[in-house]
Amino acid sequence: MGERDSVESASQDKAITVSGITREFGLATAVDRISFEVDRGEFFGFLGPNGAGKTTLIRMLTTLLKPTSGQAIVSGYDVAEHPSQVRRRIGVVPQAMTSDLDLTGRENMDIYGRFYGIRSAERKERTDELLEMVGLAQRADDLVATYSGGMRRRLEIARVLVHRPALLFLDEPTIGLDPQSRRVVWELLKKLIRSDTITIFLTTHYMEEAEMLCGRVAIIDAGKIIAMGSPPELKAGIPGNDIVTLRVGGLTDDITAAIGKLPFVHKVNREEDSVSASVEGGAQNLPGLIDIVRASGGTILSASVHEQSLEDVFIHYTGKSIREEEAKKVSFLVGAGMPRRLGG
Amino acid sequence: MTRLFAVIERDLKKFKRNPVVLGMSILMPIIYLVILGNSFQGKLTDLPLAVVSQDGGPYAKRLVEYLMAVQAGPKTFLVLPMTDQKKAVDGVRTGKYKAALIIPPDFSKRVVVNGRPDVGLFLDNTDSISADTIRNLIDAALSSLGSEYVPVREPDGTPLLRDINLYGKVDYYQSLVPGVVIMAIFLGTLTTGAFNLVMDRFLGIEESYLLTPLSKGNIVGGLIISGLFITTINALFIFVASVLITGIPLSRGFGNFLPVFLVVVLTTLCLLSLMFAIMGRISHPRIVGVLSGFLNVILFFPSGAVYPVASFPGWLKSFARVNPEAYAVDAMKSLLFKNVGLGNIMGDLLFLSLFTAAMMGLAIATFKRTL
Repeated sequence: MGERDSVESASQDKAITVSGITREFGLATAVDRISFEVDRGEFFGFLGPNGAGKTTLIRMLTTLLKPTSGQAIVSGYDVAEHPSQVRRRIGVVPQAMTSDLDLTGRENMDIYGRFYGIRSAERKERTDELLEMVGLAQRADDLVATYSGGMRRRLEIARVLVHRPALLFLDEPTIGLDPQSRRVVWELLKKLIRSDTITIFLTTHYMEEAEMLCGRVAIIDAGKIIAMGSPPELKAGIPGNDIVTLRVGGLTDDITAAIGKLPFVHKVNREEDSVSASVEGGAQNLPGLIDIVRASGGTILSASVHEQSLEDVFIHYTGKSIREEEAKKVSFLVGAGMPRRLGG
Repeated sequence: MTRLFAVIERDLKKFKRNPVVLGMSILMPIIYLVILGNSFQGKLTDLPLAVVSQDGGPYAKRLVEYLMAVQAGPKTFLVLPMTDQKKAVDGVRTGKYKAALIIPPDFSKRVVVNGRPDVGLFLDNTDSISADTIRNLIDAALSSLGSEYVPVREPDGTPLLRDINLYGKVDYYQSLVPGVVIMAIFLGTLTTGAFNLVMDRFLGIEESYLLTPLSKGNIVGGLIISGLFITTINALFIFVASVLITGIPLSRGFGNFLPVFLVVVLTTLCLLSLMFAIMGRISHPRIVGVLSGFLNVILFFPSGAVYPVASFPGWLKSFARVNPEAYAVDAMKSLLFKNVGLGNIMGDLLFLSLFTAAMMGLAIATFKRTL
């Protein structure tokens, strides 16, 4: 008992405190002993490929799934012990589009506000204000069925802000949106974190999204956190500062090994007919790399140098690209009736 | 309470935006009444009967005349005189005729000399209802041949059967009304309440309201109340329409409106709770589709709406004893045809209330507030 009390009191200034949280689905472990803390007012991101356990984690933090073991304190309450207290204090935008198509934007907002027991006058004022903020004031009285994907997502963000939550969870908020709508959502989230005293927790598998929005990022793979820190910190944490990618005709393992032996090369990865190496001073050392390939009997088909990104951080730790998609797991018995269970 | 009302309002608004569903759920039970009334009707008519008379004698003629009289009167047969015996029998085999009657050449002679006259009757006994009816009529025709004249008055001393109907005349169409109203309630409870939950779950929308402070009771109760509202209005509309269509005397149909209303509300609540208990955890609408046909058959046919419960075999009778639709049908029949008051259907109402309470409890207990 004493231990839990100390956890709860220590977390007073924290928006989220997670210790050793685990979720198993049968034999599969979707989230494996994850621990982290998020400060109030922080924009915190979970970056990882599909199937890494992001949705399972967010569902545990938002009371939709019970953890198999471990503990999570969200907005001062244990998610397993006091789920209704947690629900009152958070706003969640799930990955799937969840607004009602048969209702108008305004009706969606209003009914959601009533779910939180907000009084009529305040609800009306808040609805107008939020619809204005997300740029849907003109379309407020149209059925959501007539909205584009981007508009629907903006409405859903507005909807979960109706009760002024202290903590906002977004599960892959820009998945499936066109680049323009994605930018609109990004601007919206940036505005939110600047103007309000709100904490934002976001999951994504888009590097640029995590890099642009998040103050701090945890990289998750196969249910485990493999690195955590601000994007500059994460990039500084891996050796080298540039990535040189060479497409080589007649690429052999000997050529890859020869590149790896160069003093300014930290790490080499081979993918089919191309090698990418993390390099100190990519532009200056490019000629040296090309020379060694030629000397080993390869021909250069193309060469590129770019600054390290979070994706390279991911590759550094996992040895694979974040874009590799995994097949969604679907129940054998009822097909698409149960896809949410093991959602990435 | 605000939360509960918000759930109800959301559901009703969504329903209102689908007027096609609304129209269909009113129209379908009425079509049902018409189809059921005409396909299960009490008397058979126009059964094609091939008659091959190989006898020119007076008794053969008389038999055929008798059959023609039936054709002209109750229209049970469609008499088709033929000459080829083989064609007639083949016609029965291929389903062209329901039966073939063969009158042999020595039929009249045998009647006169009391030499055991007989006729051949080939019956399509795969259709046992038609076959029985035809056999009985031909039997009657043959036994009437024995008497030379039609008796003018009833012979003395023969006991007479006089029908005494306890209740006012109820024709077949009218007797279907309780069943049709129950059917309307069943269809309504199938497409509201728990079904809306299954749809939200399938579309992934459920997640958004599970994330709010709504309680289990708010969600289950709200969906049941909105379903009750829609289904009750629907069923009452169908009740009024079918009373008017079938010509149930208005004094009985509408004089009992309040008790009927009570039975409708209670039956609706009962079936909504049952659906919730069954479908509370289903996540694919296709499973609802499969279940709906099954539930309809196992609840409706043993309810006594089309066939009396008393004629069921023992095991089916036991099932009827726990079938809420059977109690609903009984209550409706009592109100509409026996013209008894609320006091006489208390047993039915009590069963429906207890069943509702049990199912509602089960529905809330098994409803999962998490994914």
